[in-house]
Amino acid sequence: MAPRTITPFGPQHPVLPEPIQLKLELEDERVVGVVPAIGYGHRGIEKACELNEYPKNIYLCERICGICSAIHGMTYCDVVEKLWPLEIPPRASYLRTIWAEMARTHSHLLWLGLLADAFGFESMFMQYWRIREKVLDILEITTGHRVTQSVSIVGGVRRDIDDDQKKHCIEVLKDVRKEAEALNNVLVNDYTVKARTVGKGVLSYDQAIALGLCGPHLRASGVKEDCRTQGYWAYGDLSYEPIVATGGDSFSRAAVRVGELYQAIDLQLEAFGKLPEGELAAKPKGNPPANEAVSRVEQPRGEVFYYAKGNGTRNLERLRVRTPTYANIPSLLVMLPGCELADVPIIVLSIDPCISCTER
Amino acid sequence: MIDKLKEISKDQLLAEVKKYADAKARFVTGSANDLGDKLEITYFFNASPGMDLSALRFSVGKDEEVPSMTGIYLTAVLIENEMKELFGLKVKDLAIDFGGHMMLAQDSPVLPMLKTEEQLAAGKKGGN
Amino acid sequence: MGIIATSRLKSPWIMHFDNSSCNGCDIEVLACLTPLYDVERFGIVNMGNPKHADVLVVTGPVNRRTARVLKNLYEQIPGPKMVIAVGTCGTSGGVFHNCYNVLGGVDKVIPVDVYVPGCAARPEAIIDGVVLALQKLAKLQGVAL
Ligand code: SF4
Repeated sequence: MAPRTITPFGPQHPVLPEPIQLKLELEDERVVGVVPAIGYGHRGIEKACELNEYPKNIYLCERICGICSAIHGMTYCDVVEKLWPLEIPPRASYLRTIWAEMARTHSHLLWLGLLADAFGFESMFMQYWRIREKVLDILEITTGHRVTQSVSIVGGVRRDIDDDQKKHCIEVLKDVRKEAEALNNVLVNDYTVKARTVGKGVLSYDQAIALGLCGPHLRASGVKEDCRTQGYWAYGDLSYEPIVATGGDSFSRAAVRVGELYQAIDLQLEAFGKLPEGELAAKPKGNPPANEAVSRVEQPRGEVFYYAKGNGTRNLERLRVRTPTYANIPSLLVMLPGCELADVPIIVLSIDPCISCTER
Repeated sequence: MIDKLKEISKDQLLAEVKKYADAKARFVTGSANDLGDKLEITYFFNASPGMDLSALRFSVGKDEEVPSMTGIYLTAVLIENEMKELFGLKVKDLAIDFGGHMMLAQDSPVLPMLKTEEQLAAGKKGGN
Repeated sequence: MGIIATSRLKSPWIMHFDNSSCNGCDIEVLACLTPLYDVERFGIVNMGNPKHADVLVVTGPVNRRTARVLKNLYEQIPGPKMVIAVGTCGTSGGVFHNCYNVLGGVDKVIPVDVYVPGCAARPEAIIDGVVLALQKLAKLQGVAL
């Protein structure tokens, strides 16, 4: 038997803009064991959410993660609204849906870029990020900020999209779709990409469920499960079908995200078409009552789970946030052993890790 | 209100969790809450495929031991370690034990998620 | 002026370190490298190795675990060096000021030369911050930029 060595992967690693450490146990080039060490990004947001008054938590929750920022804010509002329960106006539901899908579009483009970079396709990485800037531009036009959109308030949304903006967004989205198609064709058909991803980090249907995965990671193993099928916000009115793949490997995960990228654009176009007129926000009455609520929303990386408990004061008694990466990280314990050291970055990237979310 | 919430005792935990595992349900997450003299633990499961959430809830004294469910659902390892670190829940037989330093550093506050006296008092007053 | 001082100004090598940020600013720092903003046209190169770096770009508030790592990285960078704190939470702790695991801004641990505000800081602002740092460096070395 070859001698075993322990090699740390991270906390600073080129494929990860964020700090996480994996202690890899190696036998020559083969990984035989792995222990993740997290905690570099732990701030203590859940506690701070108990200390702040409930409307202020929106800003804090939005900063749990800078990529799905808008959706974090919306989900927080959603779970607090459920405490009353408070009905939000239809236009607000549609606007939330549109912004959530815009966030998904830019997040998937970001990930595809990082994936290309992990293979060494640097020019492709640049191209994906160039397209992504267009999505950020329309986000900025409609919400006022590129990254931290901060559009939701408890009861609805804070900003409107007017007709000019709508026309512009539709144009840009169509353009983005065309450009992304050209790049994605390279990604899914290129033989080097296939050589690096097909059969890497395979998880079967049963494993995926036993590991409690979520999001594209789960759907790539053939499980047709997506929070959007619950029909929250405007999703109930839109034609929507989860995208699944059956390979369960890194390639399938990429394929699911490519499909979702197009789907997100289609959903936005459809929602723009159906956007109803009306109020932007309902006014909450008094403090959140003593009640508990759960909200499950599909983020680009999978299901985000918010649990809130009110007690009739301005502060929440408890807020628990489970982000998608929190559910997906344990799968590394199963996927990595047996693979080669050179494949580790791609397999880690294939779950689309977002560490600041995980550790809050 | 959480639909499909089942109150159990901590001794029933593993048997109940096993039922979920046998039915091929997906473990979603857990949540702990400090009730002052006790900790209230809630575990959430999803009947896959689909979006059907159900929950198990039990409360334990702060010095009581709780069995780990990592033998059944490996993925619970993060949440159990977290509750151990942040709430001081005594979890027995963890599959991977981070030794109280998964999230927290050496000089972080100890059991930071426990509530202060004022928080508990404010919660009681508001609740009535 | 010597060739080293000139090259340090004309092609500064940057190292990016993420404390416990929300990711927003990290992504914006990365976005600076991509075609729309393209900092490489100023000769700025992103490096992974602290011993190669001239400028340390830090995002996010310092937490109790990253404080040690940050100090360690800072000490490894050869002088003269510049530190840029990016984002509101990097400059002061910002929205995370009352989180128990957060110590505050980057200047709680290492000296900071340039503060870039914004949550998230825009790529333009970050580039501006780097230019400001270079001017400061030029003055320090007594050479013209
Ligand atoms: S300044 Fe804002 S966007 Fe930037 S890392 Fe901090 S919280 Fe995130």
